[in-house]
Amino acid sequence: MQIRDYLLRRLALLPVIMLGVSVIVFTLTRFTGSPVGIYASPNMSPDEIAALEARYLLDQPIPFQYAAWIGGLFRGDLGWSGVSVAPVTEVIGLKFAATLELAIAAGLIAVFVGVALGTLAGVRRNKAPDHVARLFSILGASTPTFWFGLLLLVPFYLWLDWFPLGRSTPDIFSSIIHPTGMYTLDAIIALSPVAFFDALRHLVLPAVVLAFGAMAIIVRMMRSSMVEAMSEEYVDAARAKGLPNKIVIRRHARRNALLPTTTVIGLSFGFLLQGAVAVELIFRWPGLGQWVTSAVLAGDQATIMAYVLITALIFMTVNLAVDIAYAYLDRRVVLGG
Amino acid sequence: MTTGPGSKKTAQSPTPKKSAVTVKWARRLEVGREVLRNPLTVIGLTIIFLFLMMAVFAPLLAEPNQPDPYQSPRDWSNIDSPPGVAGHVLGTDSTGGDVLYGIIWGSRLSLQLSVTVVLFTLVFGTMVGSIAAMRGGRIDNLLMRIVDVFLSIPELIFALAIAAVLGPSFSNIILALAAVFWVKYARIIRGEIIKVKQADYVAAARVVGDSSWNIYRKDVLPNAATPLIVQATLDMGNVVLIGATLSFIGLAQAGLTEWGALVSAGQSGLLAGEWWVSTFAGLAIVLWALAFNLVGDGLRDVLDPKTEGR
Repeated sequence: MQIRDYLLRRLALLPVIMLGVSVIVFTLTRFTGSPVGIYASPNMSPDEIAALEARYLLDQPIPFQYAAWIGGLFRGDLGWSGVSVAPVTEVIGLKFAATLELAIAAGLIAVFVGVALGTLAGVRRNKAPDHVARLFSILGASTPTFWFGLLLLVPFYLWLDWFPLGRSTPDIFSSIIHPTGMYTLDAIIALSPVAFFDALRHLVLPAVVLAFGAMAIIVRMMRSSMVEAMSEEYVDAARAKGLPNKIVIRRHARRNALLPTTTVIGLSFGFLLQGAVAVELIFRWPGLGQWVTSAVLAGDQATIMAYVLITALIFMTVNLAVDIAYAYLDRRVVLGG
Repeated sequence: MTTGPGSKKTAQSPTPKKSAVTVKWARRLEVGREVLRNPLTVIGLTIIFLFLMMAVFAPLLAEPNQPDPYQSPRDWSNIDSPPGVAGHVLGTDSTGGDVLYGIIWGSRLSLQLSVTVVLFTLVFGTMVGSIAAMRGGRIDNLLMRIVDVFLSIPELIFALAIAAVLGPSFSNIILALAAVFWVKYARIIRGEIIKVKQADYVAAARVVGDSSWNIYRKDVLPNAATPLIVQATLDMGNVVLIGATLSFIGLAQAGLTEWGALVSAGQSGLLAGEWWVSTFAGLAIVLWALAFNLVGDGLRDVLDPKTEGR
């Protein structure tokens, strides 16, 4: 299949899948009864609650409610977020920016460290660096993010007090404007080194914790494709030409080994989104993850719906982008349904 | 009756049935031996064995709390005790719950969670994927689009939403994970079956006139199942990791002897210097997941060396 056709088909399928996601999640959230609790206050009479249900169409059949909800979606109305005491659409942007900043930082760490460690392990196969990298990747796959986060809090927050909780120091936060909602970026736009280092100090520890699991996948893939690349003929040929080892590894082996690794970057982004739930909870990071945890515990269905939809959208977009990148990097690739 | 099949030289013309069975078992034995040659796999298997023993003999290791053994007994006179104080080998949490008791009885919950979820998703996913691959056409298309929908949301997040709707309890965590984890198996088995279906022996069976059910049962499924075994082993660890995350967030009953819930119970103590509750409970999760990852990797290296690293 032509790459362009394949990608166009994927793009066309995206709204269909999103529709599927919304149907499944919506049906689920209404399955266990009316979500009126989040709108009601304890001293309301049954009549008042019934009026409230009628107002939000909660007394209607589920397909009708779904149609109303989808209609709202197209008008830019995702319902009322009980935990934020504001319309979902009003708060979701800020939460999204917070999670995106965290995920991008973690993703960068995971990719850079993962590729470096994987390369080293693949080159020094069965030597000490290889064993370290393998230990690292299997521990990354076996350690619960929430536990790892808690363990790092003890030395770096409790004892040394290097990295504070939350996203920023209030005084510094209010000293600049925040057009993007990603505080490090906002500080750069405002040309404020103080705000930048404050944002960075808050960002480092949660990003490192979040990166750990995703890094495990990347190290693993990079290692095995590096091992494969090092045994290829073009590596022998490059060596035979008399190129120094460093150049052989950098220009020949690593460049080729990076290709299969690209495919797992999309996958590991899923890990970043999942991991963000626990990381944000522990580090008091006011993003999507923390938002949905409080929504889950409060039974706030509008927020849960919005969260699942936006996560699916991010995840699918990233995966599509990875596929596009892969198709352009490797022209040999033949894609199929 | 001249010469029975058994009297012939087995090496030259054994009875078809007997040889097939012997070959199968010889092959299995060989695989088993090869798997055990990897020291890391042996370490993994040992850890799993110890956890199994812990779960089976839990009532002997720690006297069950009445009426509900999955709630730690409370020692109100020893709150937040460090390890070793007043007979609490691994210390107590902020409500006087014994950490070791929680870990021991928690191993039963982890076992229950992983076995239930993996068995159900393995069977259900294999069914869906097999139907898709064997039928093909529109049914395949429809089933795979449903799979796409499930794959478009990361597992933990989907399970979180489902568990949230069902309400906080451990059995709802099991339900939520079962609803999410089958997708991978459906996808894997579908891909494998499509590959296997092109093999000559399947064509031969078709020519002989075998029913499609028989072809599926005898020729297709056994040859397509290997990656499922590896995935199921890895998932025995994965579901406990994700299940623990859900109960850490607060989706299990309060005070449950589940490892994730225990880490959560120790969270506030941890920042007050009481490190033992969260540390030991989390260590149990890591060991459990690590053991299944080691065994899963070992199995993959032997059974399916091509997919290493995926």
